Amino acid sequence: MTEQRDVFENIRRGMIPAHIYNDDELFACEKQRLFSRAWIFVAHESEIPQDGDYVVRRVLDDSFIITRDSEGDVRALFNMCLHRGMQVCRAEMGNASNFRCPYHGWSYRNDGRLTGLPFHRDAYGSDEGFPKAGQTLLPAPNFASYNGLLFINLDPAAEPLEDFLGDFRFYLDFYTKQSTDGLELRGPQRWRIKANWKIGAENFAGDMYHTPHTHSSIVDIGLFREPTAQKRKDGATYWAHRGGGTTYKLPPGSFEERMRYVGYPDQMIGRIKTVWSPQQQRVVGEDGFMISAATCFPNLSFVHNWPRVHDRDDEVLPFISIRLWQPISANETEVCSWFAVDAAAPTQYKKDSYKAYLMCFGSTGMFEQDDVENWVSLTTTAGGSMARRLLLNSRMGLLSDDRPVIEALPADSFHGPGRAQVGYNEYNQRELLKLWAEHLELPA
Amino acid sequence: MSAPSARKPLPSLPFNDARHLQAHQFLVDEAYLLDAQQYEKWLDTLTDDIRYVMPVRVTTARGAAFDTSPGMAHFDEDKYSLSQRVARFATEHAWTEDPPSRLRHFITNVRTFECDPIEGVAHLLVESAELLFRSRGDVNESALVSCGREDLLRWCDDRYKLAGRKIIADESVLRMQNLAVFL
Repeated sequence: MTEQRDVFENIRRGMIPAHIYNDDELFACEKQRLFSRAWIFVAHESEIPQDGDYVVRRVLDDSFIITRDSEGDVRALFNMCLHRGMQVCRAEMGNASNFRCPYHGWSYRNDGRLTGLPFHRDAYGSDEGFPKAGQTLLPAPNFASYNGLLFINLDPAAEPLEDFLGDFRFYLDFYTKQSTDGLELRGPQRWRIKANWKIGAENFAGDMYHTPHTHSSIVDIGLFREPTAQKRKDGATYWAHRGGGTTYKLPPGSFEERMRYVGYPDQMIGRIKTVWSPQQQRVVGEDGFMISAATCFPNLSFVHNWPRVHDRDDEVLPFISIRLWQPISANETEVCSWFAVDAAAPTQYKKDSYKAYLMCFGSTGMFEQDDVENWVSLTTTAGGSMARRLLLNSRMGLLSDDRPVIEALPADSFHGPGRAQVGYNEYNQRELLKLWAEHLELPA
Repeated sequence: MSAPSARKPLPSLPFNDARHLQAHQFLVDEAYLLDAQQYEKWLDTLTDDIRYVMPVRVTTARGAAFDTSPGMAHFDEDKYSLSQRVARFATEHAWTEDPPSRLRHFITNVRTFECDPIEGVAHLLVESAELLFRSRGDVNESALVSCGREDLLRWCDDRYKLAGRKIIADESVLRMQNLAVFL
């Protein structure tokens, strides 16, 4: 434990013990103290639009059926039969009025209620031995949604989701609320990478410093015009309570002009103006910042970019992706990557935006490919003994006496909540790891 | 080009049919280009209107009538997007393949089917099984992707070109760090 206390102390001063990216003991601790207490994203309501629709998702080792029952209510049911513990649903998605356990045939309504119990009278003497009424698949201890994003918390005493997210909701809206119709998710693509889950979460939270180098091939081929060194430096990074992200600085113009610059058609801009608050619109229209990547603690990330999707013109088009860094072990992560688009968007826009996503992110995305190569290499090296002697410097943006290299943006230059900052820095990665340390220090 | 599977007539062409032999040779020659990462030459074996698709497979109940994720794919490419992927490898900054992977595309179970001419041009439907072995560096375990493919070959002047490909992955969760390779 002394050793762990050192880890957390170092992290608070921006020096990261390299082994945290591949350490079985810390992973066991993360399972017990972090993933059992934080709100974990599992699905979006649009993935189960019809009554009876379900998807099966995991929170670490626990499998949950996320269903829309026949009354239209969305539920999260622990996927384990009350009798002998078999998974009652072994598909990843579908539509069902009932789930029947393949072992002994107990069956459950899609709201979780136990309805069928073979030979109930012979085996249990009916309700006298086993009263069926009130028996249900275990519901998730805590289950809540924000803009259709569904989260599970394994802690029955968890703070409400809205409080957990706090001011980060202001930024979540940019990605998840572009009309009153809300988002439409497709996917996820799922694949496993031999990398620790924290690396991707940190990268999306605030690593604008890697973009000009790691992703220079994307600029070389003319797919994305923005990630040059100057543009990244001028963008603001922000951190607000449980999440933070990066932005790009847009050329001068009004809110509408800047939304058009990244490729939003006028009818979408019109709808966006009805759902984003004046303060949210000011971040784009007055301050000139457009959201790019972000992470919501602990392992949910977002990306919003605007590449060139056709060779016929210079037109760019935005896409949104939501992704989960699902830990498998200390050195392996399952990436779940969804394409997301405003449900009210025009058909052609949805088509082009999907294309933009596939070219840039996901299992085949050209941005993504180079990232993962780095993260696998880092994780492998972090598992050795020398990594225990190395503190990675994550103090970018700070002088040795902890004064900032560049002062935080004043409220009249950045209208969003939290702390915002221009220039190269690692504020967000530090904030994310401080939250990580805070959770791991709290006894189970 | 639409997915050819629905229109596939049975039986397959005899293995000594010249059209089958040409189709088989096309796939084996293509596998060589992909192993050797000679992607410019590979692009030249594709028609300009190629549709190259790899749906995301999902586990569904028998009788669910679908086993791919609706509206989502790993690849959903046209000539432009494939060309961009190839152009990226030609830059000095495509780190994921520098150093390059060692690749082996194993192609087997090739069956060729007759196909009615499309707009007066001869086409063949070709089915194959593919196992891709990929090794990177000297520490990490190698990775495999197993899939089936349904191809549409079009006769273009003096040779067949690939006009459509549907790649059917055998895993719902890929065990490969990315698909910076072609199948």
